[in-house]
Amino acid sequence: MDIRIKDIVKKYDGKTVLNVENLCLSKGKIYGIIGPNGSGKSTLLKIIAGLEESTKGKILYNNQMLSKVIMKKMTYVSQNPYLFRTTVFKNIAYPLKIRGIDKEFTYKSVKKIMEEFEIDNLQNQLATSLSGGESQKVVLARALIFNPQLLLLDEPTANIDPNTIELIERTIVKINREKNITIFIVTHNVGQARRICDEVIFLKNGTVIEQGKTEDVILKPKNSETKKFLSLEYHMS
Amino acid sequence: MLGLKKLKYKKVFARIINTFMSLPPVVVGLVVALMISRRGPLGYLELLFTPVAMIIAQTLLVTPIITGIIFNNSKERGQIIKQVCKTLGGDRFDTLLLLIKEMRIDILIAVVTGFGRAISEVGAVMIVGGNIRGHTRVMTSFIVMNHSMGNYSTSIAMGIVLLIISFITNSILYNYMAGD
Repeated sequence: MDIRIKDIVKKYDGKTVLNVENLCLSKGKIYGIIGPNGSGKSTLLKIIAGLEESTKGKILYNNQMLSKVIMKKMTYVSQNPYLFRTTVFKNIAYPLKIRGIDKEFTYKSVKKIMEEFEIDNLQNQLATSLSGGESQKVVLARALIFNPQLLLLDEPTANIDPNTIELIERTIVKINREKNITIFIVTHNVGQARRICDEVIFLKNGTVIEQGKTEDVILKPKNSETKKFLSLEYHMS
Repeated sequence: MLGLKKLKYKKVFARIINTFMSLPPVVVGLVVALMISRRGPLGYLELLFTPVAMIIAQTLLVTPIITGIIFNNSKERGQIIKQVCKTLGGDRFDTLLLLIKEMRIDILIAVVTGFGRAISEVGAVMIVGGNIRGHTRVMTSFIVMNHSMGNYSTSIAMGIVLLIISFITNSILYNYMAGD
């Protein structure tokens, strides 16, 4: 799915928290948004997901305004995963159930995606009893089961062990390459952006400071703000 | 759904509900009795000292409690459930179904609390029911009456029966919750 963001402004109590003039996301690419806390990353993601309304501006999805049809073709995963009070299988099958997909196809699809995320052993386990890493895998499997054209991820690997991070990153890239899904990922981890993103957007105080190919932005940043942020990130990690 | 909607007077509604949650039963009984008494606006219905009048009073007492508990719980968790359903492609009907399913324990707790209030109620039902033997006498009013007559052993026996009924009902409901 192609996304065009035009003059998006978001204000909370009169204070501007987001001001993005022009941003284009091409189909099939993985985009990463990096930036300090409070830079508007999650707000931008929620506006694209249709969960929050912008004060001004518009977003075009495949040259169309947001509609129920578009909403059914994209999904958003928050940084605090919420799983339904039922089994892992039923959690993952839910998007197919509300789309009226038959049980046999649902069973095969759920089985396949569970194998990809290495959670097929958790099929009948209660989802609310899972560990953080397992929960995140289930949430991602549930988000990807209906083959969305746009996947919006808000820090999908926060507070997760390195093995699970590696698996999630590998699966995200694999699904992106296989199914040509546009992925927009908010991350604090510059290393992660470098590993999986095709392009990176650096956001500060609600404004796009720098945007470009991952290697260019991370290894050869042009803006002093980006350089400062990246050097701090490297120092901390 | 009220807990999830962005309504103009939501705060006012929350305050009213919270106030109604702690309504004194005798006040509810008095208001209902005044409304349905012969000279009251609903006097023509001839409901005073009938089981229907008792049901009306109990409903007025219990409804705010159940509504308030579900309303307060749905404000936070309900928003998350609604958001998840929306991001997975669900429509309003899917959201409503999911909310009921996900909040079934909260709903059950509210119902148990409401049941507790109803079964222990004595003031309102005595005012509107009149404690008529074989007609509007309930276990709580039976206990009060026997106590005032000095029949302590009968009062205690009925109290034990009331406790057993409450215990069995709560056990069944909590057993369902534990198995969930």
